[in-house]
Amino acid sequence: MREVLEWLERNDLSVFIREWSSIFGFPTILFLHTLGLAMVAGTSIAIDLWILQRSRLTLPISIDGLNKTMWAGFAINTLSGIALLLAYPAKALTNGVFYLKMGLVVLAVYIAARIHRDLLPTDGARVAAGVPPQARKWAYASLFCWMAAIVTGRLLAYTYNVLFAYQLP
Amino acid sequence: MTLPDIIRWLTSTPINTLVMDYRWTWPISESLHFCGLTLMVGTVGTFDLRLLGLVKGLSPAALHRSIRFGLAGFAISVITGSLFIFGQPDQYFYNDAFKVKVVCLTLLGINVCAFYGLEARRVLALAAGEDAPLRAKAIAAISLTLLVAIMCAGRMLTFFRP
Repeated sequence: MREVLEWLERNDLSVFIREWSSIFGFPTILFLHTLGLAMVAGTSIAIDLWILQRSRLTLPISIDGLNKTMWAGFAINTLSGIALLLAYPAKALTNGVFYLKMGLVVLAVYIAARIHRDLLPTDGARVAAGVPPQARKWAYASLFCWMAAIVTGRLLAYTYNVLFAYQLP
Repeated sequence: MTLPDIIRWLTSTPINTLVMDYRWTWPISESLHFCGLTLMVGTVGTFDLRLLGLVKGLSPAALHRSIRFGLAGFAISVITGSLFIFGQPDQYFYNDAFKVKVVCLTLLGINVCAFYGLEARRVLALAAGEDAPLRAKAIAAISLTLLVAIMCAGRMLTFFRP
């Protein structure tokens, strides 16, 4: 484990991300991770709240635009997240909170996809039936998962055991 | 009262003690700050996207009902943000990124007033599929730009510490 982490943090890309002193380096990656969070979790939460307020379905219903925003945010967060992980692999991969956060993110994204599937396609029969009851349950689960993912994500900065692999026993 | 006087007063309050002397006050506040931010940007940003024509399948009124949760998120962010200022006031008042953030927040407030003063009635009467007026689209574009600028300035705070 230690050898793998040392190799990861010593490769050229990791060193570049960690040590490039420009504002367009590590600070910009952190900003992109926040922007991606707002896009993926923000739009997902907006859909959840729309469902939970017993909104009526009307034709034509389309949340494709929000779906695209959500997936664009997910792509930004995946790339920026990999960059942050490469910069300090030992800091994240030796912290149990990191795995909890990743589990919550995977669950939240699965639920978002599930909600989208439940709401679409919207034909006449679906409109007459209204928002399906299971979509409300998923909406609550989604809200919980996103909030927990955000909290665990922020706590990563305060719960790590080591910053670099050489600090490992 | 000068800025150093204000900073001295802030650091002498019990709130400063609460933030600086208890190990988990700052991390928990930061977590809540981000939850509030996501709630606000999610609900307001989605409403903006609807006005810009990206989510025309939903009526603006349906999405507007969620704005109150965004307001709650904003309140959470303001309260937790204030705790940070009480904790380390000099790190904020002499920080250029913080100044940019405050300016953007003020402009966002003016933009919200412009929306409710000029366009809200027309926009909230729109049905699903209907296009928003051009002026409402401009307000939505300004809102989205300011939200992104606020997030950017907020994230840059750490790197502009005096």
